[in-house]
Amino acid sequence: MRQSYKIAIIFLIIMGFFPLVSNSAWLAVGTTFLIYSVVAFSQDIILGRAGAFQMGHAVFFGLGAYTTAILNVRFGIPIIYTFIPAIIIPLIMAIVLAGPIIHLKGDYLLVATIGFNIIFIQVVQNDIFGLTGGPNGIFGIDVVKIFGIEFMSQTAVYYMSFILLALTLLIMRNLDASKYGRAMFYINKDDIAAQSMGINIRYYKLYAFALGSAIAGAAGSMFAVQYSAVSPEAFNVVQSIMFFTIVLVGGSASLPGVLIGTFVMFVLPEIFREFATARYLVFGLAMILTMILRPRGIWPVKFGNIPKFLKKDAK
Amino acid sequence: MDIFLQQLINGLTVGSLYALVALGYTMVYGVMKLINFAHGDLVALSAFAGLTIYVEIFGEGTNSLFIVLSVFVITALIIALVGVLLERLAYRPLRTAPRLSAVVSALGASLVIQNSIMLIWGPNMKIFPSNLFPSTIWTVHGVVFTFTQVMIMGVSALLMVGLYIFINKTKMGTAIRATAIDQDAAKLMGINVNRVIMIIFIIGSSLGAVAGLFIGINYRGITFDMGWMYGLNAFVAAIMGGIGNIPGAMLGGILLGLFNAMISGYISSEWAETFTFVLLVVILIFRPTGILGETIAEKV
Repeated sequence: MRQSYKIAIIFLIIMGFFPLVSNSAWLAVGTTFLIYSVVAFSQDIILGRAGAFQMGHAVFFGLGAYTTAILNVRFGIPIIYTFIPAIIIPLIMAIVLAGPIIHLKGDYLLVATIGFNIIFIQVVQNDIFGLTGGPNGIFGIDVVKIFGIEFMSQTAVYYMSFILLALTLLIMRNLDASKYGRAMFYINKDDIAAQSMGINIRYYKLYAFALGSAIAGAAGSMFAVQYSAVSPEAFNVVQSIMFFTIVLVGGSASLPGVLIGTFVMFVLPEIFREFATARYLVFGLAMILTMILRPRGIWPVKFGNIPKFLKKDAK
Repeated sequence: MDIFLQQLINGLTVGSLYALVALGYTMVYGVMKLINFAHGDLVALSAFAGLTIYVEIFGEGTNSLFIVLSVFVITALIIALVGVLLERLAYRPLRTAPRLSAVVSALGASLVIQNSIMLIWGPNMKIFPSNLFPSTIWTVHGVVFTFTQVMIMGVSALLMVGLYIFINKTKMGTAIRATAIDQDAAKLMGINVNRVIMIIFIIGSSLGAVAGLFIGINYRGITFDMGWMYGLNAFVAAIMGGIGNIPGAMLGGILLGLFNAMISGYISSEWAETFTFVLLVVILIFRPTGILGETIAEKV
């Protein structure tokens, strides 16, 4: 675990200096990478740590983005005030939606959460209450203004996303060291044993859902600011599957793993833009190969040093 | 009343297709405890492969019972082969790995098949010729049946009865049921688990291939990404009926088809998928193992 703090700090330093050396196209890719990393970490809280098979995470990312877009464009509320509702609404929705189904085992939960994502897209596309703008989405979201200063340059948006990622990493560190993080870890390892130790599975799983969704909502809000527009395709089931895959390809509950996963799943496709048509074919092959060669992800998490004599036994 | 009867026919047609696809999901899940996300894409692949076989080998415009039957048999054989290859290459190496790794591998396989279809046949919609089946239409009291719809219901029913007999009355069927209950114990009893899994993929993929061809013949337009939606609906049907349970998949498919048709007929087709998943969540809350699923106490 120590090692992952070092990696986090090195990563933050590199990303902090990145705008100085990159052009504007790569800065946009970098900003998206930061935002998607935040979403990937929030997915990791639910999937990698609490072990709940969440395959509808784009719903909460989208709820954050749409909250910011609707409040700003339809009601004229300044962006800076929409951040709070963009965190609280996904949080409440996560508790309301996941509450009744949190007891479902593995794959059942997975399909139910895919269902949430499909319902979300259908609600947004059918322009519910005339708020969501239908299939085209919402355009013309304002820039962030604080005390009359406009943060509209690409670099400003980049550093706002950077701060969001740094905060997320801080939350992840605190979670690891807290009672909540440990409870989630036990539930993930063996839920029956955890329950018999007096851990309230339902409570901690819902806590993971709520925390993960709140963070995803914040990232969604930032995503809306970056593109100054939101549309349904950015939050469909394919996106949810990508977030799900990022965590597992990278290595669940592993900080460097999730970062590598995000890089592989979002930045590499940008680099290979020219091969647009065959891109997803290669992608699918890579997913199969990664899992065959490294079933626990590219950079799996390690917990301390296990003495050798125990390792042999446990295989 | 007319709308009701008409939607009943449409629902039974769609429901039969869902049931055929759902059987593939439920059999694989029953034995391997894996959602075969690539199954829906195999269904799409079969529609494209069948179209090519018909147009290229037999020539568009020709039709006879023999030709139609050969298209079905050849397509089913090809898709069965793809299914077996899929299991060999993408799932077998992961049989002892953590369960989620196999799920990611299945998602990857789905991407591979879907994009291969796109690269081979192009991203645009292909149209199935209309003369594979005679375009006879019957009207009974204002309710319209097409020949294709009758064929879909009839053939699906036959295949399902055949599968039911195979699973319950033959030696191989017994081996499949035993493997689904406990792989290790089945192995100790001398059952070749690898062969059982291969047979499951052959049966599941062939049933999916028949469904894919029927989808092409009935709805005419086929797209490379259509497998996803059919697959998801069929998987929902399998869960509703109780996953791993073969009669459950049949029942779930028919019920989901009827439910979809009634929603489209009476409420709104724009919200059809929302209703499907609301129904799924409601069923999961009240009967977490599906309609016909049995509750099994977990061993510690």
